[in-house]
Amino acid sequence: MTGANEFKLTQGPEDSISAVKFSPTSPQFLLVSSWDCTVRLYDVSTNSMRMKYQHLAPVLDCAFYDPGRAWSGGLDNQLKTHDLNTDQDTIVGTHDAPIRCVEYCPEVNVMVTGSWDMSVRLWDPRTPCNAGTFTQPEKVYTLSVAGDRLIVGTAGRRVLVWDLRNMGYVQQRRESSLKYQTRSIRAFPNKQGYVLSSIEGRVAVEYLDPSLEVQKKKYAFKCHRLKENGIEQVYPVNAISFHSIHNTFATGGSDGFVNIWDPFNKKRLCQFHRYPTSIASLAFSVDGSLLAIASSYMQEQGDISHPADAVFIRQVTDAETKPKST
Amino acid sequence: MAECDAEWELCKENIQPLRHGRTISALHQALCHQHEGNNTALNQKKQSYESELRLYEGDDPLDVWVRYIKWTKQTYPQGGKESNLSVLLQRAVRRFTDDKKYQDDIRYVELWIEFAEGCSDPMDIYRFMQAQGIGTMQAALYIAWSEENEKRGNLKMADSIFQNGVKCGAQPSEKLHAFHRALQARVCRQMMSSMTDQKKDHDDDEDGEGSEEPQRSSLVELKAKGKKKAVVPINRASASVGYARGLHFKQPLGPKQNSRLEIFDENKNPETEPQEPRLEIWTAPPTARAKENEQKPEKWTNVKLPLKSRSGLSVAVPPPLPTFQPFVEEDHQPPAVTPCKINPAVNSVLSARKPCRVQETPLKMLSQHTQHAAEGKPREQSMYCKELLYCGVIEFCFEELRAERYRQKLQTDRQTD
Repeated sequence: MTGANEFKLTQGPEDSISAVKFSPTSPQFLLVSSWDCTVRLYDVSTNSMRMKYQHLAPVLDCAFYDPGRAWSGGLDNQLKTHDLNTDQDTIVGTHDAPIRCVEYCPEVNVMVTGSWDMSVRLWDPRTPCNAGTFTQPEKVYTLSVAGDRLIVGTAGRRVLVWDLRNMGYVQQRRESSLKYQTRSIRAFPNKQGYVLSSIEGRVAVEYLDPSLEVQKKKYAFKCHRLKENGIEQVYPVNAISFHSIHNTFATGGSDGFVNIWDPFNKKRLCQFHRYPTSIASLAFSVDGSLLAIASSYMQEQGDISHPADAVFIRQVTDAETKPKST
Repeated sequence: MAECDAEWELCKENIQPLRHGRTISALHQALCHQHEGNNTALNQKKQSYESELRLYEGDDPLDVWVRYIKWTKQTYPQGGKESNLSVLLQRAVRRFTDDKKYQDDIRYVELWIEFAEGCSDPMDIYRFMQAQGIGTMQAALYIAWSEENEKRGNLKMADSIFQNGVKCGAQPSEKLHAFHRALQARVCRQMMSSMTDQKKDHDDDEDGEGSEEPQRSSLVELKAKGKKKAVVPINRASASVGYARGLHFKQPLGPKQNSRLEIFDENKNPETEPQEPRLEIWTAPPTARAKENEQKPEKWTNVKLPLKSRSGLSVAVPPPLPTFQPFVEEDHQPPAVTPCKINPAVNSVLSARKPCRVQETPLKMLSQHTQHAAEGKPREQSMYCKELLYCGVIEFCFEELRAERYRQKLQTDRQTD
């Protein structure tokens, strides 16, 4: 099922995959965090695992700070940084509950973590130390950085926009325009807005500018639904990743499909073949030439038997990712 | 501990009374947590209850709900939105509506009654319960139902509900009978006292002087007047104060007359004429009450407000629109987004009022629930464990459920090692 433009990573994680992240500088390196308590670094060009390090419990998210350092957090409540050159661990700090998301904001040079303890914490990556704790109204499920702004998606369908340069107050409080639980939020590379996906087969495109004119442009659409025997099966949309150059984005659902969307013309650019199981995470490489696809069951329908977890690396072309200018 | 005592002194007026009382240690703990703004422990406990709701595998799922609700009541002494108690109750009763096993479980029936008491019209809920056969064998249902009727002044109905309960053979029957007798005793007493009140009114009219100014009690329930249409009288003085929970706020007949005499004794100066102080009360009353007294409030108890809607509730006349245009500054524009400071200790910030949705009565929601179950053919099918994510008051994500399973597995592994 893997064609010429796609291959499966060898030495993959032994349990479900929670996140895949490409290096900020090169399409060669990929971080993969997993429920098997490890974070692995892959050399994609040679299809080999370069390194792996352990957490005390399953890892829920990871991120590159720079090409040589990875940050990660998970069910052990610990935030770790790992030097990929010397293979050394440092525990930076802890949350009061599992850490759900880890992101880096290059413009303010700060690491951001979101946790089920209803807080977002900032970390100075140079020292490294805690640079502030900011209470959120609910458990943090997802977050994304847009320039110097931070978009936090929490339980209860809330969306909060913070200014990372001035964390004294919440810049915007919003309610998700989708009816069900927020699954993922990713900001546009052009920093003007974000895309939000829900567990009930829907994706919303939103803009940060609160002026009415701009807000009029927002929209939402249905996706990742399959019709079977006249019944529409609705799947959660778990993963979003933006193409850094074209501002198009890929979505992955529990139906095992990956779609690429053109948000400006409101068109679907392409759909790949169906992957063995749910798409848990997606990542475009920095140059937009590769897409890492984590196909991994997330126990959406309970703890049942399922196809093996795997990471696929797919070469994508401009035809698949570039908006059609007609 | 000394701090906690101080805390208790400061907020005791905010603590809602519970029928079964509160454990003092839980109360201390709750107040201390609030004082310190330390929500972590609370949230963790809540989270653990929520995950237990979802992953419980024993044969008594109601037990988790009951414990969770009990904990919520003890932990949020002031009730309110933060506790989410009403939502919790609603979810709990809805969850087991179709479960025959719990239909006459006293714990379940008590949840229903508590849920009903929080609703705007508990009667509907009780009727619904009866129709569904929930709690029809439990005396508690009939007692609560009858009390509600009594509160509304519908004594006949209150009585017939007890009879109904006896007919159905609700248990424990002694309790039912005891409450029934108490109701009958109250009705008798009320009738007697109203008769003497009338008699007293008569006397007063003949005397041409109000011997005793009706005392207006604060913070008690109003007794409705009228048989079919429950109308709260304008004069909310002692005569219109009803019973709450069957307790007497009004002194029964005998003592009342005594107290009346006692008051006179107190005011009476042995040297002066007995008539004088009483006259003084009426000739120079405090100015705030002057108007009311001139208009002889006794007569007003029989007068109803002329404007009435169909439901029998009096409608207030809206104030006339002002004939002038209120001044608005030209450059005044409401800001699109209001930045507001977040105090990390207080995260229950008031949010802007959302556009009002169509009012859904709890009963409608309940019947919708049963309707859906009856239809059984959804056109859309969610391909994930929706009922687990939205089971309790707070929502869970897949990872949280999985994390809980992981923790449980780890624990059992450790135990077997």
